Amino acid sequence: MDRRTAMRQLAILTGGATLLPACDFSEESILAAYKQLNITASHKALIKKLTNTIFPGVNLIKAEEIQLEDFVLVMSNDCLNEDQQEAYVKGLKQFDGFCKDNFDKKFTDMGQIEAENAFRKSLEIESGNEKEEVEAIRHFLATTKRFAIQGYLNSEYFMTEIQPYELVPARFIGSKKIEVS
Amino acid sequence: MANLNTKYKNENTYDAIVIGSGMSGGWAAKEFCEKGLKTLVLERGREVIHNKDYPTTNMMPWEFEHRGAMPEPIKKENPVVSRCYAFKEDTQHFFVRDTEHPYIQDKPFDWIRGYQTGGKSLLWARQVQRWSNFDFEGPARDGFAVDWPIRYQDIAPWYSHVEKFIGVSGNKDGKANLPDGEFLPPFELTAGEKYFKSFLKANYPEREIVVARCAHITGNQEFYAKQGRGMCQNRTLCQRGCPFGGYFSSNSSTLPWAAKTGNLSMQHHAVVHSIIYDEEKGKATGVRVIDAQTNEMSEYFAKVIFVNASALNTNLILLNSTSNRFPNGLGNDSGVLGKYMAFHNYRAGISGQFDGLKEYTTEGRRPTSGYFPRFRNVYKQETNFLRGYAAGFSASRGMVTDYSGIGADLEKGIKNPEYGPWRVGSHMMGETIPKEESQVSLDAGQKDAWGIPLLKVSMDYDQNDEDMIKDYLVEMAEMFEAAGFTNIRTRDDKRAPGLDIHEMGGARMGNDPKTSVLNKWNQIHACPNVYVTDGACMTSTSTQNPSLTYMAFAARAVDHAVKHMG
Repeated sequence: MDRRTAMRQLAILTGGATLLPACDFSEESILAAYKQLNITASHKALIKKLTNTIFPGVNLIKAEEIQLEDFVLVMSNDCLNEDQQEAYVKGLKQFDGFCKDNFDKKFTDMGQIEAENAFRKSLEIESGNEKEEVEAIRHFLATTKRFAIQGYLNSEYFMTEIQPYELVPARFIGSKKIEVS
Repeated sequence: MANLNTKYKNENTYDAIVIGSGMSGGWAAKEFCEKGLKTLVLERGREVIHNKDYPTTNMMPWEFEHRGAMPEPIKKENPVVSRCYAFKEDTQHFFVRDTEHPYIQDKPFDWIRGYQTGGKSLLWARQVQRWSNFDFEGPARDGFAVDWPIRYQDIAPWYSHVEKFIGVSGNKDGKANLPDGEFLPPFELTAGEKYFKSFLKANYPEREIVVARCAHITGNQEFYAKQGRGMCQNRTLCQRGCPFGGYFSSNSSTLPWAAKTGNLSMQHHAVVHSIIYDEEKGKATGVRVIDAQTNEMSEYFAKVIFVNASALNTNLILLNSTSNRFPNGLGNDSGVLGKYMAFHNYRAGISGQFDGLKEYTTEGRRPTSGYFPRFRNVYKQETNFLRGYAAGFSASRGMVTDYSGIGADLEKGIKNPEYGPWRVGSHMMGETIPKEESQVSLDAGQKDAWGIPLLKVSMDYDQNDEDMIKDYLVEMAEMFEAAGFTNIRTRDDKRAPGLDIHEMGGARMGNDPKTSVLNKWNQIHACPNVYVTDGACMTSTSTQNPSLTYMAFAARAVDHAVKHMG
């Protein structure tokens, strides 16, 4: 029995006297695939929302169609050092609350335009007293964007349909004439 | 028991033993086998068969979980190999990890190793520039190390011999300090490189860039088909192992060629403990080998032994081969074994952009670059430091993508990249001076998993290197600026020695047994049936990438050994 189930049963037994905080992710089970990050399915949903905000599928396909959230999490889990990872997870866990405080809405509840604006503004926000928090948020967003771009540019979709990668070019031309615009 | 011993000895006896299957060992094996000698090659690592054991060779970029990057825990556990430019998700299985084979750094030294069939020949950058007499005469002219016992004319025919077989793409440039060889068609310089070349011709007539000669097949297909190799297909994924055999490695070329003669035997997981010296016969009779998997020790015997274990490991084996006659290591009467080592100074680089040539770009990929042969102190001493540097030079047209936005803007940006300016860059390849204090030795206490003493490495940059770095950066920046390049940035990455992967010396060649370990035929002065033809034999380093010279030494030495075998 995991902790969440136990809490729920306890709540039933005590007739609801134990109040479950509405949105406490710590009550969810940890995703085993990203064990360094210690995150839950809700966190992953937030990453998915972010990658879909970064690549909404207007001029190209949407991030979720290439499971970009998985790549971002794999990279965050495997390829960040401990300090970077700590800041990343801190930013991830605070981001929804941060948006609520600054934009009166949780990120996960925003529409595409709102989400884009929140993303942009969060990167620009002046850090006052909450310097550490703002920096963690910035680090989190910048890292997510960096991995999202890396994953997108190196996806099978992009490397076959948009800018085809040649495994075997079989040529090198040192001076190729092009049209100058 | 006498019978058993005789049987064991017969079964384990060959005409020649070659320790190491990399660049130079593969060559020694090929030459011995072609000349009809039963040859045993001892490789300490696992077997890697050409085109069978290249697990990543045909993988697409998106098939790598981290798109090439190495996971942080591996980098943290293996800081040395992680600093190597080629240690990536697609090649990691060909590198020794720090944790697997420890060594002792008296001073920081990044020892990059490949323990498998072919050694580092699978992974090398494939640059094959000849040395000239400006290099071989360097120590004598400038008063360092000892005089090389050979000159260019001694090795030139062997350069040709090697080049024809491995396949070298290059242009005949007619430069005295970078002799021409047996070349297949060259790769092109880019428009940006041609511009810089003509700029130099007009403004620095004594300086020139050429296209770097590289061990890639670009012609004469029928000849190379006999080795089972085909034309280079410009994949530039060489370090994964090439399915076409387009670049030279022991795996694709010399070893299968040797095997075809029927004279080659190979033992893998064979860690050489030491060379056996017979005091009565006054020569080496064989080697002691530990099986890396079973830890059993065996002995193998031969008339002649070639040590090609890679520069540092060759020193280790010789130092560990002690006897009453040679208490300080095989052939070490002079006391210089393990000393006077050197490397290449790769610390500095420069980059910039060029806003001209808007009507040109490049297409496809090129497995080499432009090359700036040494221009400092070539004909006479002209600076406050000895010797000089060669340099890589490349110019390519980059695409510029606008990554600034998010959402629809970002998608538009990455869908429509635009031509950016030409990017120009260079890195230095400096000659360093072999010094007595640059050395390797055996640790008195610590041993590896098989009881062999750990190697202690002590090498560092000196003032000559620092002065050379300054000069390289000043000269390059001046030329870049004069050529109209902008946004010029210089760097000194302060890397430790070793990361150049050009460590050399320790068993240097020389005329005088009192100051050198090997003679002009790469034989140990005091034990002439042992030859060393890998990086350990080098008296000085020159600026050129050394593998071609090791291969030429190996072929030349086998020729000598076979002609003089009793």
